Amino acid sequence: MSSVTTTLNEYRRREGTNRLGLWLFLISDTFVFAGMFVARFYLLGSGTRPEVSQELGLAITTLLLISSYFMYTAETAMAFGDTRKYYRSLMVTIALGTLFLIGVVAVEWPLAHYDGSVPTSIFFLMTGFHAFHVLTGIFFLVIVYRNSKKGLYTAERHWPVEAAAVYWHFVDVVWIFFYPALYLIGGVAG
Amino acid sequence: MDEKKKQAYGIGNAILIVLLALTIGEFLLGNFADVWSIVWAPLIAIAVLKAFFVVRDFMHVRRLWTGDEEEHA
Repeated sequence: MSSVTTTLNEYRRREGTNRLGLWLFLISDTFVFAGMFVARFYLLGSGTRPEVSQELGLAITTLLLISSYFMYTAETAMAFGDTRKYYRSLMVTIALGTLFLIGVVAVEWPLAHYDGSVPTSIFFLMTGFHAFHVLTGIFFLVIVYRNSKKGLYTAERHWPVEAAAVYWHFVDVVWIFFYPALYLIGGVAG
Repeated sequence: MDEKKKQAYGIGNAILIVLLALTIGEFLLGNFADVWSIVWAPLIAIAVLKAFFVVRDFMHVRRLWTGDEEEHA
């Protein structure tokens, strides 16, 4: 019993270090996204925005927010040993993330018509970099799902699930700022 | 344990409702407000508020300095 407790304490200690490392990575990534966000306002000001579909913007934003909710539910379910709910929520998160990616890359991009102008360049730069993060997030979630099926995580020891969740929410936070910057602030350029 | 579980899921539900309501609010503000020169300020404020809820409740930023004793106590 004592050795089990010691091992769990050791796991918690490592978890704390891993958590700090993940947040440091996210803060460094924030600087890249923040640079794009500032560049958008520097180049276009607050009176101009790219020509994009408002309805699609709202739809994909809603998808990503709901996916974040399901990721939270999945992580909570894992922490309480609610395995069925965990798998179900994780699968919904992956599905919604994939739909978001399709919405941006397969639907919004063809509609946006890249013409080499500053507004479209900014739009493709910001959505492209963000979409790449969504894609890596989906890979991360699929890996976590597979490892869960192998029985690698328990209610007490599931750091990779938490890491995937924090990363997924970070991608959501970035979009929370990109959505008004690209879709809502200013009038259509040209 | 059951009470804690219920409370944890409840937080998720509440935050989702707040996030969706704020998103609809910013959509309406962005599409129907005519004053482009000032509308950016409330839109950014709403984004900051939404980010705050996600970072605090979904990302559990507090675990950085408390660990996750709350969940496993």
